[in-house]
Amino acid sequence: MLAAIDLHGFLFVLFALTACVFAAGVLFSSNIVRMAFNLVLSLGSSAGLFFLAGAEFVGAMQLMIYVGGTLVLLVFGVMLTAQHRFLEMRTNAGEWVLSLLVGGALLMVLLQAAFSVSQWNTPYAQRDQVEIDESKSATPIAAALTGVRVDKLEETNPRLRAGKSGYLMPFVIVSMHLLVVLVGAAYLARPRMAVRQMRRGG
Amino acid sequence: MELVASSLFDLVSDVIRDTKGIGGWLSIAPDSSVGLFIPEILLCGTILAMLVLRLFRLGEKLDMFYVALIGVGAALLVLSPWRLSENAELFARRELFTGLLVYDGFSVFIRGLLLGFGVLFLVFAKISGIPSRYDSADIYTLVLGATLGLCIMSAANHLLVVFMGVEMASVPSYALAGMQKRDRKASEAALKFAVYGAGAAGIMLYGISLLAGLFHTVHLPTLAAQISTMLPQMETPELMVAALAGLMIMAGLAYKLSAFPFHYWIPDVFEGAPAEVGAFLSIASKAAALALLVRVVVGMGTLPDSSETAARDSVVARARQDNPATPADLLAQAPPAQSTMYVRHDEEHAAAETEDHPREDHATPGESDSATSATTDGLETARTFMAKLIALIAIVTCTFGNLAAYGQKNIKRMLAYSTIAHAGFMMMAVPALLAVADSHPQVAASAVSGIAIYLVIYLFMNLGAFAIVAFLRNEMGSEQIDDYAGLLKCCPGITLCFVVILFSLIGLPPLAGFIAKFAVLASVADAFRLSGHPYLMGVLVVGVLNTAISLIYYLRVARVMTMLPEPESRVPISLPLFSVAGWYVLAMTIPVAFLIVNWGSLHRTATAAVAHLLGS
Repeated sequence: MLAAIDLHGFLFVLFALTACVFAAGVLFSSNIVRMAFNLVLSLGSSAGLFFLAGAEFVGAMQLMIYVGGTLVLLVFGVMLTAQHRFLEMRTNAGEWVLSLLVGGALLMVLLQAAFSVSQWNTPYAQRDQVEIDESKSATPIAAALTGVRVDKLEETNPRLRAGKSGYLMPFVIVSMHLLVVLVGAAYLARPRMAVRQMRRGG
Repeated sequence: MELVASSLFDLVSDVIRDTKGIGGWLSIAPDSSVGLFIPEILLCGTILAMLVLRLFRLGEKLDMFYVALIGVGAALLVLSPWRLSENAELFARRELFTGLLVYDGFSVFIRGLLLGFGVLFLVFAKISGIPSRYDSADIYTLVLGATLGLCIMSAANHLLVVFMGVEMASVPSYALAGMQKRDRKASEAALKFAVYGAGAAGIMLYGISLLAGLFHTVHLPTLAAQISTMLPQMETPELMVAALAGLMIMAGLAYKLSAFPFHYWIPDVFEGAPAEVGAFLSIASKAAALALLVRVVVGMGTLPDSSETAARDSVVARARQDNPATPADLLAQAPPAQSTMYVRHDEEHAAAETEDHPREDHATPGESDSATSATTDGLETARTFMAKLIALIAIVTCTFGNLAAYGQKNIKRMLAYSTIAHAGFMMMAVPALLAVADSHPQVAASAVSGIAIYLVIYLFMNLGAFAIVAFLRNEMGSEQIDDYAGLLKCCPGITLCFVVILFSLIGLPPLAGFIAKFAVLASVADAFRLSGHPYLMGVLVVGVLNTAISLIYYLRVARVMTMLPEPESRVPISLPLFSVAGWYVLAMTIPVAFLIVNWGSLHRTATAAVAHLLGS
């Protein structure tokens, strides 16, 4: 019963739909924080598409750098400098037209390029015979971050093998560093509160 | 493919054993990586506690000073560096976290110094009232975060960790430098600090990546072994790249050390930031940067004791039966039940090889005797390069700092240049260390112990000086040297303490500063006598000359305070010796004044700390 469901196809449609819907959400929302949250979901879904396509490394990087890093930075930046004129973004008609022109042109070019490759248009006749190559994956990097250097096993020079250290400690401790830096950024970014507090005599 | 699967299992179990030791899920062996890393983990816990406690109504009322003090104090207690002089064997060198960090007497000593400074600094900040209570939690978080980075720097065994530690220590310092937000000068100083710091870090990272490309590793002991065999066979372009990489890494370290020509940020930052931050940057930051410099030059310039690198390797050695390791490797770490079997298996293979390599039995099996002699040549080249480079930097830094301090009108700016000069002076021991690292490891170790002694004494001298500057600022709102005129009249006790500290900063006997300078210069003289390198003579002469130059500007401050008349316009100052601030200053001055009575115990501790540094 379960085998009858085409899991791959189902997930593809799911991720593609969520990516598109939340991308539209970014467009039609005027609050920066909501936009950022929509963008998180949209980028996360496209990371899912990368995983489905077998590009695990790109998917992992998409999650770590865009979803994890850049957007958290954006949200924090907005929260720290939250002022009304930066929080709400109104787009006027001229900007809509201009962005539709530019974005639409890019979309056309991409669609045209994607559909011009004939192999991509026709599905494989015998799906059973499709072999999935062992792709370059993020596994060795991820394993090294948990302290296990799998590439140690392929190293024949015993001296170099001794020098292969796992990156568990930096991976964990850097989170502490980021927390401290965030506290520092928050401290530097809140001038008014301190003054108000001092007037109150705190 | 069975071999791979079973070796992966071995790899994972090796990581677990290395990280937390054998035992149940929650048990942590005291000699495992995490077990020896507890002081740093306590610092992390304190940072978290300071954040979380503020969420509650009760915690809002709590003064975070006590939380921070308890956290740092607990970390110091767990580390307990005072055990060093009792039993140095407890602090034998071992690698933590699969070779990223190193635990030995030196790291315990420096981390003890940093955490001890942390306690003293928190008390100092509490007395002087900067940061205000409202800001204190954030400032303490930054200080503790920076201290965490400094601790990691002082124990680094891998260039990745060197970079990470430098960044972890620097980035919170940038925010600390800009602590007084409404002060334009402070903001400018913080921005300069951050921009130059980012540049220096980038340069260092580029140097590290060049080294990684040339030698295929950035794990310091492995790097030394690679340099020893690869450097003699390198072509000129490759040698140029290696030298460039060394220069770039040194630039990053010199920035942290505030060495010439990377010193320009320090006077601005010290002048803009409050004296409390200046104390932190000039003591803790310098101590960790010097320890890091020692780590890097020792790591890249000498071959480590074979047993401890081999110990980590044994699991992989067991996994790869087709590639026999030496018996020393196997006996060192593998559980007895498994190791005996492979020792028997490998014995005849390896016994013959070890005879050829009495010094480095972990090197590639099958190397001939000629390779062994080339080995020392390669490292000798690297050591001479580093020694001459650091000697030059030290000479210029020390002289420049002392000359530039002469014309300063602001006391914090003067102390900034004095910091630069002292950093240069401490660096002078490093060429001495490198010159005799191979031939006379004992003398080389004594050079490092000279740095360690200097750092402890420097802590008390500079903390005392900055504390007096901060307390006087609180009283009279000025940090100009001219405004200190006639201080002897209104607060004689503090003035006397300041004069004692200034005399000690010059290095006049019988004060502690003399012991510090003597320890460093004696090691340079010893190294010169044993190796005969002329540049060490140059270092020695410049060191002595600089002591004479520094006399002028320190004495000028003392003269202004004691001999000039009190200006009439000044508001009355009351800073008696019998107050909390006075006691604090006294507590810093007493070790400076009377260390000579009992300096043997400090010397013993420092000697025990460096006993295992050079793997001899």
